[in-house]
Amino acid sequence: MTTPKTVFVDTLLCTGCKACSVACKSWNELPAEETKIITSYQSQADYTYDTWTYVSMHEKYEDGKMEWLMFKHQCYHCEDPACMKACPSEAIYKTDSGYTIIDQEKCIGCGYCTASCPWGVPKTNTEINKTFKCTGCIDRVENGLKPACVAICQSGALKFGERDEMHSLAKARLTEVKKEYPKAQLYGDNLMGGTTYLYLLLDEPQVYGIPAKPATSWSLPLWKNVVHPLGGIAIGGAALAVTAGVVANLFRGNYRSKSKDSDNIAPPQ
Amino acid sequence: MSPSFGRGAMTNSWQDLKNSKVFLIAGSNCAENHPISMKWINRAKEQGAKMIVVDPRFTRTAAKADIFAQIRPGTDIAYLGSIIKYILDNKLYDEDFVLNHTNALLKINKNFKFEDGLFVGFDESNKKYSTEDWSYQLDAENKPVKAASLNDPDSVFTKLTEHYSRYTFETASNISGIPADKIKEIAEVFVNNRPGNILYALGMTHHTTGVQGIRAYAVIQLLLGNVGKAGAGIQALRGEPNVQGSTDMANLNGNLPGYIPYPTNAEKTLTDFAIKNGAVQHKPMVAILKAWFGKNATAENDYGYGWLPKNNPANMPTQTEFFNHMYKGQFKMLFNFGTNPSVSTPDRKMVVRGLSKIDMLVVSDIFEIETAQFWREPGVNPAEIQTEVIFLPAAFVYEKAGSMTTSSRLIQWKEAAIEPLNQSMPDLEMLDFIFKKIRDIYKNSTDPKDEPILKANWNYGHKEPALEVLQELNGYDENTGKLVASIGDYLNAPIGTVSTGNWLYTGVTGNGNLADRRDNSDPSGLGLFRGYAYAWPGNIRVLYNRLSCDAQGKPLDEAKKLIWWDSAKGIWDGNDGTDVIDKTKGPDTPEGKIGFRMTPEGLGRIFAAKYTSGLPADGSTAIPTRNAALCVDGPFPEFYEPIESPTTNILHPDVSHNPCAKIVSTEIGSVKDYPYVLTTYAILEHFCSGGITRNIPWLNEIMPEVFVEISKNLGKKLGIKDGDKVELSSLRGKLEVRALVTDRIQTLKIHDKDQETIGMPWSWGFAGLSPGPSVNNVTMAALDPGAGTPEYKCCLVNLRRA
Repeated sequence: MTTPKTVFVDTLLCTGCKACSVACKSWNELPAEETKIITSYQSQADYTYDTWTYVSMHEKYEDGKMEWLMFKHQCYHCEDPACMKACPSEAIYKTDSGYTIIDQEKCIGCGYCTASCPWGVPKTNTEINKTFKCTGCIDRVENGLKPACVAICQSGALKFGERDEMHSLAKARLTEVKKEYPKAQLYGDNLMGGTTYLYLLLDEPQVYGIPAKPATSWSLPLWKNVVHPLGGIAIGGAALAVTAGVVANLFRGNYRSKSKDSDNIAPPQ
Repeated sequence: MSPSFGRGAMTNSWQDLKNSKVFLIAGSNCAENHPISMKWINRAKEQGAKMIVVDPRFTRTAAKADIFAQIRPGTDIAYLGSIIKYILDNKLYDEDFVLNHTNALLKINKNFKFEDGLFVGFDESNKKYSTEDWSYQLDAENKPVKAASLNDPDSVFTKLTEHYSRYTFETASNISGIPADKIKEIAEVFVNNRPGNILYALGMTHHTTGVQGIRAYAVIQLLLGNVGKAGAGIQALRGEPNVQGSTDMANLNGNLPGYIPYPTNAEKTLTDFAIKNGAVQHKPMVAILKAWFGKNATAENDYGYGWLPKNNPANMPTQTEFFNHMYKGQFKMLFNFGTNPSVSTPDRKMVVRGLSKIDMLVVSDIFEIETAQFWREPGVNPAEIQTEVIFLPAAFVYEKAGSMTTSSRLIQWKEAAIEPLNQSMPDLEMLDFIFKKIRDIYKNSTDPKDEPILKANWNYGHKEPALEVLQELNGYDENTGKLVASIGDYLNAPIGTVSTGNWLYTGVTGNGNLADRRDNSDPSGLGLFRGYAYAWPGNIRVLYNRLSCDAQGKPLDEAKKLIWWDSAKGIWDGNDGTDVIDKTKGPDTPEGKIGFRMTPEGLGRIFAAKYTSGLPADGSTAIPTRNAALCVDGPFPEFYEPIESPTTNILHPDVSHNPCAKIVSTEIGSVKDYPYVLTTYAILEHFCSGGITRNIPWLNEIMPEVFVEISKNLGKKLGIKDGDKVELSSLRGKLEVRALVTDRIQTLKIHDKDQETIGMPWSWGFAGLSPGPSVNNVTMAALDPGAGTPEYKCCLVNLRRA
């Protein structure tokens, strides 16, 4: 049986080279999208159905000291994934290695997973009604290779291994890094049942534009445990419940403000 | 570095970076432009190493630094000079190293002086120095006279102390904009953590004082004993995967492959050449002539020396100057392989002007780069251009076999992964095809000027031509026809009995293709990886590693021992290859003490003296041994302002900029009209002129457009917001681009006045999938007098909302 894996993202070592994003597109044969610079040296604004991982950059100048923080975004592969609960067609499942996978055969592109994910990871291609996100390179991992993003990483910011090993490595690094960055913290180990991508942050999550306390929306258990068993007839009502959950999430500030997809694909000026 | 250490190459390797305790990264944005460096720097950092970054901008490298200092472009020598002074004033130098392995004790010619910004010997009429008095006092055997102590009034050490007495932290701060206490902090951290490494790249060389900046690094490292040891040295990070290889193969116009000085028209015979350049150049010259002319090269005909075209020192344009010479009609044709001068040339309007005047331009590339379609640039009228342009589709790197030489002098072999597409061909096959055609055209000629073509030893087959070339570089025993096994065999062979296309590469294919090895083991744990490919010279991974031992040949640091004298076996042995004159000459012999075996003194050169070893005492014209490499603009590094500078040089206002600099641009702006300093650079996402990368959609996706970076203060002052269109101009040209307003550039204080720095990447041009304005519309074509590198890193500009 495959054992649970973890990717440890050491943001102190990340140089923001974005090779992970390119390697992801190369391995998964995803096309490039037209972009423009949004802020700093960042051009990819958000997840799209063709962009499964990207790096955001955060400039912070305080008391004459400059910090330039980097954050790699991709599916966190939660142990207790909201998307899986939300999926009406049971297309989303967990693997023994810890990954959260969308079965494209079953996916109907309804977008409920997107609405329920606290990070807004999955994105739907409405032309073909299929939803896409990082697969964790399950095809590589189950054949003894590292995920494409980890394999390309030169600086050592991405490390892949057994869950326990990565967690103790992360804890050791935190102790070390805290000496210089008092706000340093691990992100992911106790979120959503624990995530497969575990981060060492140098500052509060908000500085990186990610929710401090991502949570499953209150409507999901309702859907999963009450409405879903009733079958397809209740889809309309369920959609309403999920939508309500999204609205609630917005009020709680769990979503970053995002530009519309159309902005993201505008040609450079 | 050649005038300081004897070899013009990065001293250590990428992997060795992990052994350092401190890094001074200044003139390099290695996290962006040499990403692999961070793998090894991060390993050192995990062991507590400190990282200092000095740069005009807060880069992605700076983001990883323990100490960051923002510097005004082109002022490095000012703060480096103050660090030299700090080391001397506080006696923080490695005395044993300075006494035994540098020229600090040697006595300088009494005529030597430095006054009002000029060294002795300057000729105002041709802006050149006579280097006669930059020499040592010599004894009866023509050897340098050694002082009894460092404090001797004529010693290099005393002259060094005098020269840098002007460089206080406060003066350096006024010039560079780095606060004085921060310079002091940099000095303390760098000096107190050894072994220490200095990393530089084009940020240090793209100045009219480029060579002297590197010399300042060399002086610091020689004083601190930071050479020849694991984790200590000067790392010249090469800009392209094979730029070290191309330099080894003579991409500079003053060299032949293997850094043999290119003969000039003053050296009519091989003997003339040998007398001028010494025995150490005579032998490789004969060996290369044997490689190039084969059996036609004999002792009787000077090995075909007469067939080599000779340089005319009075007319030796470098690439930046070519285009003006084309415009004047000196050139009729240009073969343009693997370069995109239409984007990369400073003050680039010279390029289209020059290319428009030649008869034929041949461009070999994988994409139709800007240079290949220079006549299509907006604003250029193709009807006025008669140049015939031929495009040769080239094979990409993965479509051809061959070797690439990394920064670490590591010759790495690769096979072709796939066949070239359609009609595209590897460059080597194109050149082979063209040469054979030309030879065919001339085959019946009896004109002596055509002899080099007809006598050339050019018989590469079509099966594995790249390997045949590498074997030619390795060299053959001309009697047996066998490949030369090792560099030792080459050195021991009588002159004329071996051929080598590049003597530095001897040994690479002597016992199979060693460049093709992929052994990843590292038994010493020092990152030497000696079973992986092959590093010149002689598979040595840390140059000058004799310096890692004490006088008895014992490693100074047992935990990081590179080599040692094995008295039982009577040889120098080691984890690394041994960089010694003779493996069997122990530390008690004169040869066994030498740490810098490629300088004529056998010493590291704090003062870059004119000196030739082995000159006959009787004044006869026998062949000497070795010439010292010289810096044409001074034996000590001195701070000069950039050609276009916002201020005058407070050290010597009458000689503000480098008096020897070659100024190619004709329009020089003033601070009154162009108040801001522009610095240009590459960014991680695009490579060089973008000829390849701007045609790769995935890379355009992560960096879709060019931009100009300005401080928030300047944005506020000019009413420019993030993303606004602006016009950037100099006296030479202008362009429109979007602005990125950022905290990563701050306003500096220079002589108590606010000074703004503006940054813009240079990798864009009018063609390709991501077209954009070229910053070289506005840059300055002024060259370092020694290396010919243009001052891309600083010029004066204006900025306004478009």
